[in-house]
Amino acid sequence: MLGYIARRLVQMVGVVLISAVATYALLNLAPGGPMTGLRQQQQGRNRITAADIARIRAYYELDLYLPIRFSRWLIGHPRGSIEFGGYEWFANTPVGCRQPVEKNIRNEQGKIETKVVGCNEYVFLRDLEGRKVSRGILLGDFGSSWKLLRDRPVSDLIISRLPKTIELIGLSTLLSLFLGIPLGIYSAVKQYSRFDYIFTSLAFLGSAMPTFFFGILMILVFSILPKSAGLPYLPPGSASAVREYAVPLLGTIQPDTLADRLMHLVLPVITLTIVSVASWSRFIRASMLEVLRQDYVRTARAKGLKEKMVILKHALRNALIPFVTIVVFSIPSLFGGAIITETIFSWPGMGRLYFLALGDSDFPVAMAILFITAVLTVIATLIRDLVYTVIDPRIRYS
Amino acid sequence: MTGQVDSIPISNDYPEEESPWKLVFRRFRKHKLAMISLGIMVLLFLITLFARQIAPFEVDEITVGNYFLKPGSVQETTGRVHFLGTDNLGRDLFSRLIYAGRISLTVALLSVLISNIIGVTIGAISGYYGGWVDNLLMRIVEFFLTIPSLPILLIISAMLLKNQDAIPIPKFFLEFAGKLMLLEVREARQAVLITLVLAGLGWLTSAQLMRGMVLSLRNQTFVEAARAMGGSGAWIIFRHMIPNAMAPIIVDASLNMANYVVAEAALSFLGFGIQEPIPTWGNMLSATQAYMLDMPWLPLIPGLPIFLCSLAFNYIGDGLRDALDPRLKL
Repeated sequence: MLGYIARRLVQMVGVVLISAVATYALLNLAPGGPMTGLRQQQQGRNRITAADIARIRAYYELDLYLPIRFSRWLIGHPRGSIEFGGYEWFANTPVGCRQPVEKNIRNEQGKIETKVVGCNEYVFLRDLEGRKVSRGILLGDFGSSWKLLRDRPVSDLIISRLPKTIELIGLSTLLSLFLGIPLGIYSAVKQYSRFDYIFTSLAFLGSAMPTFFFGILMILVFSILPKSAGLPYLPPGSASAVREYAVPLLGTIQPDTLADRLMHLVLPVITLTIVSVASWSRFIRASMLEVLRQDYVRTARAKGLKEKMVILKHALRNALIPFVTIVVFSIPSLFGGAIITETIFSWPGMGRLYFLALGDSDFPVAMAILFITAVLTVIATLIRDLVYTVIDPRIRYS
Repeated sequence: MTGQVDSIPISNDYPEEESPWKLVFRRFRKHKLAMISLGIMVLLFLITLFARQIAPFEVDEITVGNYFLKPGSVQETTGRVHFLGTDNLGRDLFSRLIYAGRISLTVALLSVLISNIIGVTIGAISGYYGGWVDNLLMRIVEFFLTIPSLPILLIISAMLLKNQDAIPIPKFFLEFAGKLMLLEVREARQAVLITLVLAGLGWLTSAQLMRGMVLSLRNQTFVEAARAMGGSGAWIIFRHMIPNAMAPIIVDASLNMANYVVAEAALSFLGFGIQEPIPTWGNMLSATQAYMLDMPWLPLIPGLPIFLCSLAFNYIGDGLRDALDPRLKL
């Protein structure tokens, strides 16, 4: 078992490294990047000089070669010439290009393309000394944000958003578990009953319902329509109000009080909960039906055990085994948030942060979230496999 | 005693043998909701197929001043009816909805085709050859299936939309897709990119499914016979295994149709999919969000078709599963 865990840990490091490379490549190999908009501004009145461009390129580290940039992002090195034995080594090794020579070339289709053909001024390893650099994401330093909170550490952004996401996702996950599991069990035990029929139809509707449309419907039904009809309503978005507001029957609500925050929490939590109850309870129902057909359940009944005992003790335990996967994989989403729901309800959580970071091309933020999510997913996979061996002795890893 | 066996009369009035597809359709018909869904989808496909003939207005025909007309308003100069009213720019919502349907459904259909072809091929290779190929492919598939798909989908389409020429797409394919979606080649590139992104992340489950089927078929006698007769790997896979694995793949494809309609709408809704002024149900829905305070019915117009399609394809998949193989569980 220990050997198995050790092997898995080594594999995990490999997968994490690969996902770091993949994340980085995805955002940095694509042509264009943060400079695209600037080049178009070159024609206007606020002309950007070559020196400005060099400065901005240095800010985004675009003047360094890709492997150097990647290594600085990953482990925070190289930071300057390497001192060893009293000498500075590789001080004059070029690691980037400050002023590339660009040429407009007509390509095969006859379009004009700008291509880098050489370099006027190189960046050398010694020039890196004194440049701002993170300690590397492998050490938990995600660098600084480019746009959303310019020059502030990405971790600040994440720390300010994370509690809101944990609040939202945690609450809805707990609610979905408490609702979904009993509903699924009851529906399976009473198969073909009227309850089962209605419940499975509703669950089918719920799992076919796109979240974004459902969220908008919730805002319509519980916020906009009752508000215009003068009925008590729920606020449609964000996590707390800015000013006090009056709700019929409930009175005036002060901003940022418990009541205010609860009011804002209701709609997104309900939206997320209903969607996951619909799919989780169907899952539980199916796996429960499967187990209820097994011989050992018949044996338990034949022994004369009470039906309650048979279902809760013999059947449920085995029916829940595949459910572990779903629960364990809510760990990454506890961090990553729910992108669509958070966006619709303007919930200031991680999902919305990721959405905003992508929209604004704030790559360090997007890469940090994606990377942490990948790491958490890899950890969740290991936890799942280990939990399986505990709850299901038939599974053994050697 | 043996004479008794001989004396069993061989009757000639056996019911005529039913073809397998007839049998499937007979069983499919029993699933009422699936039949209704099939009817709705056929209708939707027909409407979008004749989009040019049915839509009273052009996609981006703007009537100055006619902003936010109520459903059923009549344009005074030409007498044409805005069945569902107009949007913030005075464009006819009904016409846009039809053209959007054409694009959304085509994107979903192409994605299903591409992703199933990739998935079936990779799954079959993985399952048939086994060994390190299988190990490597399945580890990759598993890894991508565990990480949340929406962030990946968003980041890839965000990057591709910024550099639309990053992936070379053959011109004939762009023209073909453009004809299907009633778009110009330049606009079609966007839709094709989204299709490729959806298919590129969507083949994973079909590959797993196909691999499982191939593993169970590999030891069947007819495959053994084909191998004994000297059939090559490719021959056995394409001639014997894929036809025999068709049932779950068809079910998977129809459920995937629902997923792709929703995924494309979600991407366009979030602004990382097909962009305005090309209409899709997703970006139309997202555009209505700003005006839903005053016109609460507005989001329903593009929202309901998305929900309807998702529901219908789910029911059709359900019905097909029952019809193709009652024991089959996906």
